[in-house]
Amino acid sequence: MGIDRLAWRAVLARPLRSLLTIIGIALGVGVLSASLTLSAALDASVERTVHDIVGRADLRVSAFLDAGLSDTAVQTIRRTDGVATVAPVIQHRTFLASTPGGGATNAVTVLGIEPLSYATIHDLVIVKGRALATPDEPAALVSETLAKQDGYQLGSDITLQGPGGEGPLKVVGIVQGFGPLGGPGRTVVVPIGLARTAFSLAGVTRIDLQLAQGATQDATTAALASRLAEPYVLASPAGIAQSLRASSADFQATAALVAAIVLFVGAFLIVNTLSMTVGERAREVGLLRAAGATRGQVGRFVFTGALVLGLLGSGLGIFTGAILALVMADSVSAATGLTATVPGIDPSGSAIAALVGVLVTIFAAIEPAVRASRISPVEALRARFDLPAVRRARVWWVGIVFVTVAFLALIAWPPAIAATGSERALAVYGVLLLATLASPFLLQPLSRLLGIPVAMVLRIEARLARLSLARDRSRTALTLGSLVIGLAMVVALGWSAQAARASAFAWLNDVVPGDELVSSIRPIAADEGIQPILAQVPGVATVTPIASFDIAYQGFRLDAAAIVGADVLADGRLTAVAGDRRAALLALDSGGSTIVPTAVATRLGLHVGDTMRLALAGGEHLDLTVAAVVDRSIPGPGGEAVLVGWKDATDHLGVTGADSFAVRFQPGAGPTARQALADTAKTYALEANPIERIQGAVADALARVFSVFDALAIVAVLVAALGIVNTLTMSVVERIRELGLLRAIGMSRRQAMRMVIVEAGVLGSVGVVLGSLTGLGVGALLLALGRGLGPAAGFPWVPIEFAAALGLILPVVAAIYPSRMAARVSIVDALEFE
Amino acid sequence: MPPIIEAHDLTKTYDLGGKRVDALRGVTLSVGAGEFVALMGPSGSGKSTLLQLLGGLDRPSGGSVVFEGRDISRLSDGEATKLRRERTGFVFQAFNLIPLLDVRENIGLPFTIAGHDANRGELKERVRQAIELVELTGKEKHRPDQLSTGEQQRVAVARALVTRPSVLLADEPTGNLDYTTGGDLLHSLWRSCDHDGQTIVLVTHDARAAAYADRVLVIGGGAIREEIVLGRRIDHSATVLIARLAQIGL
Repeated sequence: MGIDRLAWRAVLARPLRSLLTIIGIALGVGVLSASLTLSAALDASVERTVHDIVGRADLRVSAFLDAGLSDTAVQTIRRTDGVATVAPVIQHRTFLASTPGGGATNAVTVLGIEPLSYATIHDLVIVKGRALATPDEPAALVSETLAKQDGYQLGSDITLQGPGGEGPLKVVGIVQGFGPLGGPGRTVVVPIGLARTAFSLAGVTRIDLQLAQGATQDATTAALASRLAEPYVLASPAGIAQSLRASSADFQATAALVAAIVLFVGAFLIVNTLSMTVGERAREVGLLRAAGATRGQVGRFVFTGALVLGLLGSGLGIFTGAILALVMADSVSAATGLTATVPGIDPSGSAIAALVGVLVTIFAAIEPAVRASRISPVEALRARFDLPAVRRARVWWVGIVFVTVAFLALIAWPPAIAATGSERALAVYGVLLLATLASPFLLQPLSRLLGIPVAMVLRIEARLARLSLARDRSRTALTLGSLVIGLAMVVALGWSAQAARASAFAWLNDVVPGDELVSSIRPIAADEGIQPILAQVPGVATVTPIASFDIAYQGFRLDAAAIVGADVLADGRLTAVAGDRRAALLALDSGGSTIVPTAVATRLGLHVGDTMRLALAGGEHLDLTVAAVVDRSIPGPGGEAVLVGWKDATDHLGVTGADSFAVRFQPGAGPTARQALADTAKTYALEANPIERIQGAVADALARVFSVFDALAIVAVLVAALGIVNTLTMSVVERIRELGLLRAIGMSRRQAMRMVIVEAGVLGSVGVVLGSLTGLGVGALLLALGRGLGPAAGFPWVPIEFAAALGLILPVVAAIYPSRMAARVSIVDALEFE
Repeated sequence: MPPIIEAHDLTKTYDLGGKRVDALRGVTLSVGAGEFVALMGPSGSGKSTLLQLLGGLDRPSGGSVVFEGRDISRLSDGEATKLRRERTGFVFQAFNLIPLLDVRENIGLPFTIAGHDANRGELKERVRQAIELVELTGKEKHRPDQLSTGEQQRVAVARALVTRPSVLLADEPTGNLDYTTGGDLLHSLWRSCDHDGQTIVLVTHDARAAAYADRVLVIGGGAIREEIVLGRRIDHSATVLIARLAQIGL
């Protein structure tokens, strides 16, 4: 029989252990594969979204004002050096007069295009009928979705509602799927001239342009800046892709980090399993050596076994990864805002993960293989051969495996997020490695300490369990190490989630000058008198108006909010990190000043005293002096808002009224006041939202993101639990004779069972203590690097409690099988009388 | 001497991979209180199987074992555990000690398993006396790997005797020991029988060991083939026994 077949038999000889190891590898490979698949899906989603948005355009110039970009601006752009093709479009939301059947209809988006230029830049796939022919043809295309929903067919009449509405247009073509704008897919495409007339528009919404050969984006951007007088916002495909990627980079980086950690835990399992196998097979190995097997053949015996486990585990891992990716896709889409379409089994992600899985397995086998090859035939065949010495895994080798996995994980790091979080990952790996290497030294004192309460009730079980854990410290340390790492990640990620939630809550409390936000779907002008009505509601102390809008600064669209500085000052909101808070808030009300949040100030390089020149309609501009930089500002749709006074907002920035009111209740005002406010708000078609409800929505959003990470961290703990089953089973098998002896002198089956369970419990409790401490270290690191470590982060009691529950329950569950095995030991067989 | 253990028509059959093997074929015997009985026979004769059944380690396929007047052949696992814990003491050829525990802890193990503190009061004194009996005073803190093989077996004897069991059952206790060490151990066993009235059932294939017994039962083919009564003797010469064994062809 060849060495390879012997190795195969060795794998089959311990089916449970082999199966658990294969599952461990499969979970590690599966999580890595899922992480890579989702990462690739997000990248593809970014590419797809960018293509859907800009097609083959090199630049997109969007109108900043509702009036759009004028014909002059379009002509200016057309004549700008470096511009080859210009495709102006009008995009407008409206209602159709009726469905073909005469029923009521939901809103649609109308896209007005120049058929020829649009086709140069965008693909408009017609599934039925034909494309538009001229810019003023009285015809329309509808998306398949709209056609299906409202019953449009070729030849149907379609009437757009608008101030300049004309007679019905004929549907001449159906556009594939959701149509050119994606989203809900209720799109009507018409010639641009008809759209302009129908909605009485002077300008166009945006212009996509292609550059001439040899022209550069930078030069064209500069030329546009010098020639265009109207306010506009410039975007490039790369810029859009970058901002889309930025929205998912943190998620991808953390998922990749956790995936690598699951792989570490899997690697621990492999090293431990192979070490146990070498120990068990020591006599056979000695026999093989005595029979003439070379060291190389013995090494191959171990490697082949590892390869079998690695290949089976990685193969299973590919399917596990595909299932995990499918399960996680929705959460990932919700967390990142990008549609992660998972293609079943992703060939490249699966291949990389499987390769990493096999490489890690083989690498983990090196030391046990070398150890096996060094077994002396004379020693191995001696009656009193010291098996534990051969069996013992070397903790230092785990350190090397750990570093190698970290290296492989960094190589396999999703390329799109290379810049994000790789330092953070390295720092986390470092802390985990330290914890792993320290575990063998802390095991003894901690197990003694934590075993005291158990020993008070179950003296002999606790004593024997503790001694058993100390019997092979290397193996216990490996098992413990994997548990520590898994629990540490549970604590660290839980703490990160807690800090993010606390930070979001603190943010709202720090910036919103009220207990409730009463919002409106339309701007409410000051002279409508709503504010005094709300202020008169019994229990209400103050009401202050807030308006959200956009401003254009240096070609960037920024979120802005108009506030009453004096109200915010009186309510004690906003924390200034530069400039005088009081003076700045009062300056807002006087006009000519602005307050910017730190995030915007850092991004745009703004300081107190700088002037922000905002582009206005007709080539006008408004200069605002930065009066203060605040830690956090009112949240807007795309980020934190630049704060301006109401005077500037209404006089220059086109704000016509408040879209929300921050309401502060009098101290002691209870639910009655809240109800009265809600009733009054409803009378005026307003909606009252307590800050707590907004915080709840934030918490839900964060929970969706962190649930994915938590699930991955729990996979790591599960892999660790598999290691515990392996270790305890091996421990029982090794102690069969001892157990037989103990049973012979009066130990009951229940005591034998309890002994193993106590062993798992002590291991789990040591894991909980070390895992929690390590988790605090990793969490502090993650928060510090993410600048989230502050008093608001609080102490992660809940994550620690969760880790404690996992760390105590899972090992005990893992101990059920080995403990039953211990209880069933036959005294006669164990002692081998004759 | 009133009987302390009686076996009636005891049989034991094993199923070894579908093949039935009769280890015992109807053994009947009686061991009196304070008696030292040796079970002798070649390997595979069934002597160890018989010892296991007498001590409640295993259940017979047929027949019965009466221990102190009570049939123990159909005891539940819990009852059998209690019997082993309180009424019997075992010494085996090897694997007798828990390597992680020191001498004192190994000897006090039956008490600890029973939920008692072997380091307090009377139990502590009994452990001390047991250590003294096997002449290991001064080595209480030694771990098994720090003791010689003979010392390890003496610890096993002390552990078996510390609960003052009704019967001490020893299976080849000198199998791994050299001539002198084996002799010392057998002398310890004999002394506990002679001085303290301890009942002992010893399994051995060594005539020199069996010569310490009052009575030798020769087992062969799963049945008692011969009973040789030696009587209580200060001198443990094996000459008479060897001569008798030679007569029956052993």
